[in-house]
Amino acid sequence: MFLPVLSRAQERDETIIVGANIGNVPWEFQDTDGTFIGFEIDLVNEIGQRLGRNVEIVNIPFNGLFSAVQSGRIDIAISSIGITDRRLESVSFTQPYYDSDQSLTTVVGSGIESLDDLRGQIVAVDTGSTGDMWATENMEKYGFSEIRRYEGLAPAMLDVVIGRVKGYISDIPALLYYTRDKPNLEVVERIPTGGQYALMMGKNAPLVIDVNTVISTLKQEGFVNGLHSKWFGTPAEDNTSTVEVRSMPMPDLELASNFVETFLNMDVFMQTYPMLIAGLITTIQLGILAIVAGLVVGLGLALVRLYALLPFQIIAKVYIDIFRSIPLLVLLIIIFYALPFVGISLSPFYAAAVTLSLVSGAYTAEIFRAGIEAIPKGQFEASQALGLNYRDMMKDVILPQAIKIVIPPLTNNCINVIKDTALASVVAMPDLLKQATQAQAVAANPTPLIAAAVIYLAFLLPLVIWVSRIEIKFKAGDR
Amino acid sequence: MATLIQLKNVEKHYGNFKALAGINLNIDEGEVICVIGPSGSGKSTMIRCINLLEQYDPDGEIIVDGIKVQKGKNLKDVRAEVGMVFQNFNLFPHLTILKNIMLAPMRVKGTDEKDAETAARALLAKVGIEAQANKYPSQLSGGQQQRVAIARALAMKPKVLLFDEPTSALDPEMVGEVLDVIKALATSGVTMIVVTHEMGFARQVADRVIFMDDGQIIEQGTPKQIFDDPQEDRTKSFLKAVLEH
Repeated sequence: MFLPVLSRAQERDETIIVGANIGNVPWEFQDTDGTFIGFEIDLVNEIGQRLGRNVEIVNIPFNGLFSAVQSGRIDIAISSIGITDRRLESVSFTQPYYDSDQSLTTVVGSGIESLDDLRGQIVAVDTGSTGDMWATENMEKYGFSEIRRYEGLAPAMLDVVIGRVKGYISDIPALLYYTRDKPNLEVVERIPTGGQYALMMGKNAPLVIDVNTVISTLKQEGFVNGLHSKWFGTPAEDNTSTVEVRSMPMPDLELASNFVETFLNMDVFMQTYPMLIAGLITTIQLGILAIVAGLVVGLGLALVRLYALLPFQIIAKVYIDIFRSIPLLVLLIIIFYALPFVGISLSPFYAAAVTLSLVSGAYTAEIFRAGIEAIPKGQFEASQALGLNYRDMMKDVILPQAIKIVIPPLTNNCINVIKDTALASVVAMPDLLKQATQAQAVAANPTPLIAAAVIYLAFLLPLVIWVSRIEIKFKAGDR
Repeated sequence: MATLIQLKNVEKHYGNFKALAGINLNIDEGEVICVIGPSGSGKSTMIRCINLLEQYDPDGEIIVDGIKVQKGKNLKDVRAEVGMVFQNFNLFPHLTILKNIMLAPMRVKGTDEKDAETAARALLAKVGIEAQANKYPSQLSGGQQQRVAIARALAMKPKVLLFDEPTSALDPEMVGEVLDVIKALATSGVTMIVVTHEMGFARQVADRVIFMDDGQIIEQGTPKQIFDDPQEDRTKSFLKAVLEH
């Protein structure tokens, strides 16, 4: 089954759709009006003009760019993307226009002056970036205790400033530009990786040749080096890819892109399988912790909400309403990025666990309350008339009956909690989704995402089916 | 005979509605009382105040065996002496018949499990359903369930038994078996207050019959006085309506 990678945008009209990880200074970012500006923005706009086509820029996170070009959702991806052999297996690149290295950025006065000072420390990288690949390969050599993977420069730098991670390994031009007006941050070491940035496009997309020809022209006219002067303050040296016309990195033409190789690539799957399993274990640990803590919090809240003194009832109700209203992701970001400013700095795992437990507790409380309220009044009266105290009444009479009623909705809540663990990937927690996105960015192939979806299904679908069954059984059963 | 229960000027309001309008009543130890009257006359509310399932208004007072019935730590002493049987049985559906009876003695009195079980089996024999000990309430007929409920109340060895329309939820053919159990108890010396619509039963077992209407005790006396020679018009018209029915 051979499916050429067709650009939907191309079929539709003459506009070239460009995906960019906006915020990646000075390549593509927003000025104060919200206009997209930067080295690569200028470059693609000029290319569009020369080809007589409109250019539309869309904001896509770095690790989403690969599947976006592969699926044809965008024509070109920009974001200082480095050419690698692995990526060339799945996508095409134009000739490079910038020679880059990686770099280490730290907080001034933190005592981290070079890579050697990072032994036993946590380092930050962008998920699936060249920096990520370099750090992963050199983890043992430099003795990093952990590599934490972020979705872009801004959240990573926030954690460097907070001190939760000690250094950020990323492309040197971006960091030189970013730190130029921030005296508390410093690029302390250049890491020579010899990366070259190019425009990334769908594998063997017809447009690649045209775009590549325009880049050659623009180099010869000095336009590209003009951009270097504009954005970095100085022109590039003569022997760099910014000045010289280079050949297009040629993919292996034998390997025409097809559906199975793109989405169900066995080699990629076998390579990334251990990462996914590690992610699954983290997901399960986080899910179980949040579910158990949520049950305890929820039962306590439900009892307070129903039977405590009025002021406590009101507090419980306010808690339940707030935590059911606030989007989980918002709460997670507040807990992870805002609490450190009041002295509470949680690891990604515990930040996610606390967030999920707080929210799950609120939902669980409502489930328990509904369950307890479904118990007929006569059960309470019979217990009281027999002289049972409150604790015994709840423990021996009310809760055993309520549990049966709440098992189906509680199980549904557990399924939601496990699904919501995927949100923890935004705070650099290596859960199943995070591992899958990293793996797909490294391999430039979406197979790991498909595999992750299958793992989530294999794991949650039986629970969903089980809940439906017991719901039917309880409905039929006598009480 | 010593007075066991005293109700002094007991009132109960639900918002503006007066459910009980000044009840004064003394009940002697061992007395069997049947309370009759139209629906909504306050019969159930009155007996539910005796073990504080309903909170009566603060001006009145109820005393059971020398203890004032009110919220607080003495309440459990009152409830330990006052057993109650409900219209809808209110058995615990998740527990077996045996466990239904054993729960309160074990939790409230600290009876050990073996003794509680022995006592429970004896009580089940007394109400005639020892064969059902290990079944669940939903497996029993209404009449059997109500007999279990009586056994459950008796397990706490109460001085007083309150019956809140114990046969109203039963199919007619099961009323007799439950009334027979209550009749047998009436001769055993336990103090009983029975809210009932079964006039024949009231006439047969009661030491005293109380007729209530509009939250008040209108008339009381021996069954003979109330049923054969009622003095008040409201009593007469109630009995006329019920007995003709």
